[in-house]
Amino acid sequence: MSAAQKAPEKISVGDALPVFDLNVTTTVIVAGAIASRDFMPVHHDPDYARAKGSPHMFMNILTTNGYLARYVTDWAGPEAVVKNMKVRLGGPAIPGKVLRFTGEVLSVEEQGGERVVEVSVRAANELGDHATGTVLFSLPLP
Amino acid sequence: MTDAATDPVREGLERYVGRPMGPPSLAPDPVNVPMIRHWVAALDDRNPVYLDEAFAKTTRHGGIVAPPAMLQAWGMPTPKIEGIAERGGAPADYREDNPISALDAAGYVGTLATNSELEFVRYLRPGEQLHVSNAVDSISNRKTTGMGKGYFVTWITTYETSDGELVGKQLFRVFKFDPSTLDLSKLGGGK
Repeated sequence: MSAAQKAPEKISVGDALPVFDLNVTTTVIVAGAIASRDFMPVHHDPDYARAKGSPHMFMNILTTNGYLARYVTDWAGPEAVVKNMKVRLGGPAIPGKVLRFTGEVLSVEEQGGERVVEVSVRAANELGDHATGTVLFSLPLP
Repeated sequence: MTDAATDPVREGLERYVGRPMGPPSLAPDPVNVPMIRHWVAALDDRNPVYLDEAFAKTTRHGGIVAPPAMLQAWGMPTPKIEGIAERGGAPADYREDNPISALDAAGYVGTLATNSELEFVRYLRPGEQLHVSNAVDSISNRKTTGMGKGYFVTWITTYETSDGELVGKQLFRVFKFDPSTLDLSKLGGGK
């Protein structure tokens, strides 16, 4: 369970989020694509994706965003409310290439009874950066 | 970089700025627990506020909420599977008059998604059905990148409840490029 709640007063600028390695498989990509109602063949049909010039079928953007949000809330806890996520998209996430998620706290501010935290996030595989950006979330103050 | 005044392709795109990419739509289904369950299983997201009503009630969410990143998923059109590969992945047989189709027709057939910016005004609850609309935010002048020459097209999708309450937005940017202008000698030199 990810029910463990991060105490907002224990979050400081420069804190690193724990590294998360996602073993990207065909199943992971297809499960995410269909759960997000994205039936584009490049996200489930390797032959089709290769014919379109890709090295393999690849993860769709909705799934990438879902994993980035999960990466942050797994660490921040169930009281977290994600306010925005700004992502620059890079190389593809493809089967057989582990996607490594890393992150760091960029800022912590108190606003209207909440602690608002911005973290940088990066998901990269051996091909390079898949997605980089920031996630802004809040936690209630005790 | 080319000045828009001397670039007929860019000049032809100006009329799309501020206009919709496609017609507004109503999400096929309201926010619902079966789709949430499917999503959290697919992504192995064990945050209990998405499915455990009793737990979610003990948090400030006050009950089950949808994973925020599902925002775009609620508005995804129901696809016609037959022929989807031949349509390049388009969910249905339609062709919008928008900057993407205009750039395809002008030879800039390559598409590379470069940016996604999601803004969540608040989390969604089961039962809420979203109205989805979009508008072209900006189109760059012609740029030369590692993928060749092309144009950055940015649009913003807006999500509202049936009461007209704004609950989220997504900025999306793609680079539409002409694959024949790709300088292969520069591949591998970083992006």
